[in-house]
Amino acid sequence: MRWTATSKKPFSRRGFLSALGGLAALQTFTNSPLAANLLDKRAGDDALLFASAYKNTDGTFGIGILDDYGQVLARISLPGRGHGIAVSPDKSRFVAFARRPGTFAIVVRPFKDAKLDVIVSEPGRHFYGHGCFSTDGRLLYAAENDFANAKGVIGVYDMSGDSAVRIGEFSTYGTGPHDIALTPDGRTLVIANGGIETHPDRPREKLNLDTMAPSAVFVDVESGDLVSEHVLDKTLHQLSLRHMALDASGRVWVGGQFEGPLSETPPLVAVFERDKVPTVTRIPDSLAPMLQNYIGSVTANRAGDVIATSAPRGDRTLFWRAETGAFLGAQTIADGCGVAPIDQGNFLISDGNGALSVVVEPDEPAEILARPPGISWDNHMVALS
Amino acid sequence: MMRFLVLAAIAASFSVPAWAVEVKAPLERIISDYIVPASAQFANTAAGLPDAVMSVCETPGEGTVASLEKVYAQTVFDFSRIHFLRFGPLIENDRLSRLAFLPDPRGIGQRQIRKVFASRDAGVLSPDSLGSKSVALQGLTAFQLIAFDKNGSIVLGAPGENKDFTCGYAAAIAQNVAAIAESVARDWANPDGYRALLLSAGPDNERFRTTKEAVETVFNGLVTGLIVARDQNILPALGSSEAKAKPRRFPFARSGNSILFLKGELSGLREALFNMNLQDLTPEDFQWIFGSLSFEFANGENLLEQLKPPLRETLGEDGSYAKVSLLAITIKSIRDTLALELAGALALSGGFNALDGD
Repeated sequence: MRWTATSKKPFSRRGFLSALGGLAALQTFTNSPLAANLLDKRAGDDALLFASAYKNTDGTFGIGILDDYGQVLARISLPGRGHGIAVSPDKSRFVAFARRPGTFAIVVRPFKDAKLDVIVSEPGRHFYGHGCFSTDGRLLYAAENDFANAKGVIGVYDMSGDSAVRIGEFSTYGTGPHDIALTPDGRTLVIANGGIETHPDRPREKLNLDTMAPSAVFVDVESGDLVSEHVLDKTLHQLSLRHMALDASGRVWVGGQFEGPLSETPPLVAVFERDKVPTVTRIPDSLAPMLQNYIGSVTANRAGDVIATSAPRGDRTLFWRAETGAFLGAQTIADGCGVAPIDQGNFLISDGNGALSVVVEPDEPAEILARPPGISWDNHMVALS
Repeated sequence: MMRFLVLAAIAASFSVPAWAVEVKAPLERIISDYIVPASAQFANTAAGLPDAVMSVCETPGEGTVASLEKVYAQTVFDFSRIHFLRFGPLIENDRLSRLAFLPDPRGIGQRQIRKVFASRDAGVLSPDSLGSKSVALQGLTAFQLIAFDKNGSIVLGAPGENKDFTCGYAAAIAQNVAAIAESVARDWANPDGYRALLLSAGPDNERFRTTKEAVETVFNGLVTGLIVARDQNILPALGSSEAKAKPRRFPFARSGNSILFLKGELSGLREALFNMNLQDLTPEDFQWIFGSLSFEFANGENLLEQLKPPLRETLGEDGSYAKVSLLAITIKSIRDTLALELAGALALSGGFNALDGD
């Protein structure tokens, strides 16, 4: 029987991996020798799976799919460096975006189609590296740059057919949108406008640091209308708002990257709600100078009551109580950046030295589960199940 | 990292090592003077493992047991001196994971081995079929689990219903390890192999456009090696306090080779680094770094000399917990000197996420 015919919902681990095995025939996937064995061993259970972009020491880029033991089960080659990954609500597929100013996104649908679908950005647009699905999984929203006009847009893609079709776009009401997320009711898209103007002709250059004006906006996904817009205090206009996670109450936690002088230690984590004045968290004085004013990933645990914010330039990951905004503690993980929820309340953290570490208690040492040789995990990791 | 950036800025404005003129000497030296001989040494030692296994299985006794202990310990030691070279030949075809499945805090290796024994899986009895099995079943860590008991005594060759199966499996591992070690040594010695890629940076080189990139790959490999040495090989065993120490978490604790492994790892990292002769490229103002590094490495190696094997039993005696804690601090200090000060002085980039996030 063709593998495509075998895997229907629910998505068992075996089904998922045999599907990837099918894709391996296309030479885009390779299975590690460990994979099959782990699979045999734990067949039938719906163990946790994760995905993250990586760089290999041989200079190639890809997406790694790994289990909760940190073992890489499959790899997908990418034509360039990846960044964020959007997972569909039913977990049947995911979209891995190129890092800005990349122009590709890879759609992986292991249960439906052996073929990887590649989305290429429209002329005049490039991806910012993040996106998310609509609640029904039919649409994909992608943060994009209308670089001729230095305006952020959200590209809207119909994902219901065999290949993605771009059906429109709406404004982000700001410059340099980065991470986006849908509110729990599925009707409003939250967008972190980083505020930084860039142009693909000068790929990694920041063109407006003196005048940058980041914002967090709430946009109606039906009409594209602006519902509400929030900016932080004007002393924080150089805090580029970039990555986000929603907590159990639907509050939006956003991590920032401060473009002002390193001698300052402004707040780096802010909490937004549609109709309230935003607040910022207080980073302990003992930690603040270490972080180099840079937050990488922002992730909620499964219960949504703890938020993790990684700070790779300070080798630290900080944890916050979602309800109160209180600082819970920090873990030291060298070059740690990708953070995904694992188990009930814990986090899996990936780092540039290849390690995957589990954090159970904020103040107990993290446990290094695995370190696949040759791999540097890139900025973000997501849970696939 | 802040210091790194500041130093990088200083270096850029004063005297920068002339990466622009394509300085290949550090790469040529580390390959010829460290990597190739250390890989050959590992291959040479590992080549003796199959015979030692066969002897103990055919004629079990004090002599053959002692001989296997010695060959296995030497193989672990020689492996520890190259295992941090996580680029090129050692990571091709999953070689590193197949040589030793580390870390394994959840006991994947143990569980897979139990399953192999329960089903008498004949697939582990020849190096060829073993080579296509789980990496956790193939190498020195799996060997340790089947050849040594919990108290560090060799049980291979001991009479019992599992004797032949265990001997067959151990022989297959020994041959597999010897073959992988041989491939690594051969590939590093091959003038047209990975070393040619490292040494031929330029517009026609798909992997390394500049020698600086090639040097960064090697240099950052050593920095990662120091992170592994502390964060992965020492801290989990130390736990959060002496009362919570887990000395069985040191690498190769079961066979009583943890101290040996840590010694080989640290001395190997020192020799690899100093063989690059980076002094020649470092501005005068930063020459102090090398004195500092020598001092710290010597401190670390002295601490290791003071420990008594097997660490899984002796940790806690004679202030050894404090000594290992100090060793961890020393390695962290070496890593910081390397990753912050020396990388800054040489204008090398490190820290994948830290450096180049988004």
